[in-house]
Amino acid sequence: MPETKEKKADAADARCITGIDGLDRILNGGIPRGNTVLITGSCGTGKTTLSLEFLLHGALNNENSLFISVTENWQKLIKNVIPYRFFDEDLLKNKKLIMIDLGAIYNKLGLEKSEFTAEDIDIIVRAVGDIVKEWEIKRLVIDSITSICFQLKTKEKIRDFILYIGKNLSEAGCTSILVSEISRAEQSYSMYGVEEAIADGIVLMANMERRGDLLRTLQVVKMRGTMHSRAKYVLDLTPEGVLLVPLLKGGSIPGGI
Amino acid sequence: MDLPETSAVALVIKIDDYLDAMRAVLDAFIVEKDLSAIYITSTIPSQSIKNVLNILEIDMERIYFIDCISHIMMGAAVRSEHVNFVESPTMLENIMLKVEFLMRSLEGKKLVLLDSINSLAIHNNTKILSEFLHILVNNLRAKGAYTLILSVDEQSSEEINNMLGLVCDETLAPSEQK
Repeated sequence: MPETKEKKADAADARCITGIDGLDRILNGGIPRGNTVLITGSCGTGKTTLSLEFLLHGALNNENSLFISVTENWQKLIKNVIPYRFFDEDLLKNKKLIMIDLGAIYNKLGLEKSEFTAEDIDIIVRAVGDIVKEWEIKRLVIDSITSICFQLKTKEKIRDFILYIGKNLSEAGCTSILVSEISRAEQSYSMYGVEEAIADGIVLMANMERRGDLLRTLQVVKMRGTMHSRAKYVLDLTPEGVLLVPLLKGGSIPGGI
Repeated sequence: MDLPETSAVALVIKIDDYLDAMRAVLDAFIVEKDLSAIYITSTIPSQSIKNVLNILEIDMERIYFIDCISHIMMGAAVRSEHVNFVESPTMLENIMLKVEFLMRSLEGKKLVLLDSINSLAIHNNTKILSEFLHILVNNLRAKGAYTLILSVDEQSSEEINNMLGLVCDETLAPSEQK
């Protein structure tokens, strides 16, 4: 039966099109709106670049987008975006793309301490929620969640934090990416083992060695609310954005050179 | 050379005809058909090809190289806007990614020239090479590009010929037609 125009429009509204062609194809049209997605991987795998591109496409598409930087100052980070051919500095001037250092939020809230209490978590989540509502943010990236979790210390607090922030953002209609850092040898998808269980989606980025070649790979392990490919893809970070192609299987079979 | 759009063609040449074939192909597609060329080289470094094309007085303004051989030869790769380097001919996915990048960057119709299947076969087994060709050719077909795969007759094998037969619409062997 042919789809009606309304049905097609509803389906498009229900998806947050990342703008990264390969990823949207893997996700069967994009991230289901309101999902909280964990992008996880070791250093140099392209997590921050992919996240920034997700925001950039949102901003170009008139969706207010927010990047919360936890470890580096955003002025330094934005230099990663400038080589993109589709980057427009007016997005920053017009507040379509908003960049904030989490340190500035902590400072404003008087939360400059090494360990947070349950009450502090509540204050931080509410502060982020207020920014999202005030600026009508539709896409958000926190880079990285691991650094925040470091100050939460216990698994219970980490669980509460991610559950609470995910719920708040989802209710505000905001699609979020939480960047998670793991070590190269890590067997789980997150540093504390809690983040992965709570997130709606997990995108694993890795460096894969094959016969001495180091390939950057991406794999969608889980995504609630959509059918998706679970295969491994090879990616490249280019001025045209993140490009993806399938990992050739002949190279990954035992003994296959 | 009159080929239907989006066709994939295997061009089987004798080693002695290599330069003539290269000139004929680039003349036919760039000059006559007014296309941009994406030239994947795994045989000799792009700089050497550029030197030859210079001697042949072929306009290189619309030729973009994907050079998979300069890095592993540990030579000084000459950086240029028209050359994209892939670290090794074994990084077949990265070749596809560079092709994809150029397909997006360049305007108008394109020819993708793979030089050559024989040199890629030195570094990769048939299984992964067939998979690579299958994905590359079908992807280019979907994007409306011409694909031309060079095969040097003296360096070919039954396996390579079968592989080309599987992915290409046509096999041209000009030497046989002389």
